[in-house]
Amino acid sequence: MNQLIAFLVRARVVIVFLVLQAICFWLLIGNNDYQKTAFINGASGFIGGISNTSRNVQDYFELKRVNGELAAENAMLRELLQQPFLEVSDSLGEIQYQADSLDSVQFHFIPAEVVQNNFRMTNNFFIINKGTNDSIAPGMGVISGLGVVGKIRSVKRNFAQGISVINTKNPISIKHQPSGRVASLLWNGTDPKTADVLYMTPDIKVSEGDSIVTSGYNSIFPKEILAGTVASVEKDANRTYLNIKINLSVDFARLSQVYVVRNEKKEEIDSLVNENPLQQP
Amino acid sequence: MNKSYSSIILSFLILLPLQVLVFRNFVIYGYGFNFYYLFCLLLLPVELSAITGMLIAFATGMVVDLFYHTLGIHASAAVLLMFLRYFWLRINGPRSGYEVNQFPTIPNYGFSWYLTYALPLIFVHAVTVFLIEAGDSALIGQSLLRGLITAIISYIFIVLTQYFFFKKAR
Repeated sequence: MNQLIAFLVRARVVIVFLVLQAICFWLLIGNNDYQKTAFINGASGFIGGISNTSRNVQDYFELKRVNGELAAENAMLRELLQQPFLEVSDSLGEIQYQADSLDSVQFHFIPAEVVQNNFRMTNNFFIINKGTNDSIAPGMGVISGLGVVGKIRSVKRNFAQGISVINTKNPISIKHQPSGRVASLLWNGTDPKTADVLYMTPDIKVSEGDSIVTSGYNSIFPKEILAGTVASVEKDANRTYLNIKINLSVDFARLSQVYVVRNEKKEEIDSLVNENPLQQP
Repeated sequence: MNKSYSSIILSFLILLPLQVLVFRNFVIYGYGFNFYYLFCLLLLPVELSAITGMLIAFATGMVVDLFYHTLGIHASAAVLLMFLRYFWLRINGPRSGYEVNQFPTIPNYGFSWYLTYALPLIFVHAVTVFLIEAGDSALIGQSLLRGLITAIISYIFIVLTQYFFFKKAR
């Protein structure tokens, strides 16, 4: 016993080192998403506050660019308004939307501002200044005027954390626009301006400049939100799938105004999936 | 001794906010990060016990992690840095030995000693951060390159700070 105690005392530096490293890795490794979220949530009132203040200062430097982007988006929306997508369906004057034009019944867009944003890591996250107070919930999609941004991961009263498209652990269901073939979009961890399209078979004719849009299959994003345009296509003799690189439409280095997508029918769709476990991945 | 404690606390109070509010936003071409906050860990007294040092490093790393959204990564790397520093200081002592109550800085021990003291430690820290963060052996080359560039940039900032703000102890 004395020897054991003597050994522990002699090796105390190494032991403390190993214990601290163990704590770090326990916090780090994915199996404790709950602890991670709980820890971040516990601190995010304070941290979010500081980030918000720091963001407020940065906002002034970005006003001109953001104004330009919003003006362009307004112009686009005005154009859409001119198209007759409202029509009266019966004598009681009920209004029905054409499901095709914007999927307007199903999706609500909550405007938010990004107060903190990572884009230089391998796994990037961002924080927006809306939370449960604005009925934001985990699993909602986030888009900007330019395209897909990510999805919400954890929510606090006034802030929410989202997982970015440029995160190596965040695949997104997309489709290739001219062909309509569905595939996956996944970031490769290096350049925040490009991403890879996975599982696209070589029988599809993909050419540079084709748009890659959301598929709308996963009830997170509305369909046909732009994700990017094809930058290069390669056929690999050893692989079953094409190597496709795309230029992301959103500039993640300058993320500021975003919209959180609330799908009114998500619960309905999800319950259907849950009742049929065969369909689950 | 009181004076040196207060200046260490002051360095933490200045460097940590500077790191998380300012330097977090500046990255050169996606490769050159600046882990300036390591200066306050490198500044800790030589005679500090390894355990205290690692606990301080853990707390510091946690604060940085909270702002970087990388819970555990900076803490882990900083603890490793302090652990290695404890032995590195003993292997790599200046020719005349350490003076009690003097900071391990360039004005006290000279540029070439500081280079061998600080640069390898910063490099190990930076590579650890990028390797854990990437979590993928395919990105090992990128992580090493990022670590090297980051270490050099952080080192330059740390050295410049010392020429501007530190005087030789009497």
